Amino acid sequence: MAQFNLKIVTPDKVLFSEPVAQVSVSTALGQITILPNHLPLVSQLKPGEIIIKHEGHQESLMAISGGFIEILPDQVIILADSAERAEEIDERQAAEAHRRAEEMRQTKVKDAREFAFFTAQMEKEMARLRVARKHKLKGVRSSIRPEGE
Amino acid sequence: MPQATRDIRRRIKSVTSTRKITKAMELVAAAKMRKAVANVLATRAYSDLTWETVLRLVGIVGPEKHPFFKEKKKVKKVLVVMISTNRGLCGSFNFNLVQKVVASISLHHPENRETDIISFGARGRDEARGQGLNIVADFIKTDITQSAAEINPMAHLVTKEFLGGDYDKVFLAYTDFMSALRQVPHVKQLLPIVPQIDTRLGHISHEKNKAEIDLSQIPFITFEPSISELLDSFLPRLVEVQIFQAVLESEASEHSARMLAMKNASEAALEMVSDLTLAYNQARQSAITAEIAEIAAGSGTLSG
Repeated sequence: MAQFNLKIVTPDKVLFSEPVAQVSVSTALGQITILPNHLPLVSQLKPGEIIIKHEGHQESLMAISGGFIEILPDQVIILADSAERAEEIDERQAAEAHRRAEEMRQTKVKDAREFAFFTAQMEKEMARLRVARKHKLKGVRSSIRPEGE
Repeated sequence: MPQATRDIRRRIKSVTSTRKITKAMELVAAAKMRKAVANVLATRAYSDLTWETVLRLVGIVGPEKHPFFKEKKKVKKVLVVMISTNRGLCGSFNFNLVQKVVASISLHHPENRETDIISFGARGRDEARGQGLNIVADFIKTDITQSAAEINPMAHLVTKEFLGGDYDKVFLAYTDFMSALRQVPHVKQLLPIVPQIDTRLGHISHEKNKAEIDLSQIPFITFEPSISELLDSFLPRLVEVQIFQAVLESEASEHSARMLAMKNASEAALEMVSDLTLAYNQARQSAITAEIAEIAAGSGTLSG
């Protein structure tokens, strides 16, 4: 039985790289099945499943969230997206990032070092508060007590 | 025992425990660095294949056809995506990066051009603020970027604002991982796309670069739905994967910079402990000598 090399890669890693007998994918124009010696083709993939048939008729399934397929004479490459493309989420996070930068401009901390100093001081106070709370919880009368308690 | 020796002993103890911490941080950074380097290498397959396809597509239609490739004649506004770290204790890592950005701003964009910054990483952001750079958006960085999906919002924003004409050029400022001992801050043009594979990004320097891709190999390819539609969806991914690679490479650099900083700290601590031990022994010895002298003097007066 004739075989060809199938490679499935995402930006994170190579998911699959093995010789297979056939593979079915759903492209933007409909589902296609690729057998060895397919015509060279580049096409966009819709979110869906990839059905891989190995030699000896075992099947394996894989779900992808969109991407591309590239059929070359000697191999088939699937460039899969790492996750479903969610424009609204991207948009929202981008707006959030803008807002944070804007907020930063509004605050009157002139120097980042000053900011670091205040953060450190705040953390120190918080640590003291935590210690005080812990002692109180244990019922031990503590000499360290946050102000105003 | 007198006060002096007790103080020295206390200091030895504290320096020793500091050394334990820096040693542990060094080991953790080394492990994280190895992981980050593996991540950089893992993205390579995708980016190489994406580049290959994009180059094949633009080889057919010509790059000037697509807005992603269009060079503006006059560059007025520039955007820099600055990838730094969230945590400190990594030497002058972030300082160097921001200095590089400042230097390249003053080099390439004199007075009348505006430069905006998108920051990714808290340390670089604070440093850039200190330098008076204009930050227009701040994305929150996780310590280890797990998946390319995490940087999609940033890529989306960059692409949208470039295509909308807000910026004429977009640059990527990251730290190039040359080796475990050498990391170099680097500013690279992201948009408009230069139709040529970058041999620096995503490649560990001592590796040999792959041979040029032969585009004439395949005589006839069918494109579905059409070349321009394919390019429309391919190019944003190319931008994404480049940002992703830069993030991963910066992470590898961050961890190796931290490893080095912690190694230096551990060595300095060790040196300090040995100095202190010497001082301690001397103080102890002189205390014993003084005591013996006292006893001898005492017994001398008694028997005499």
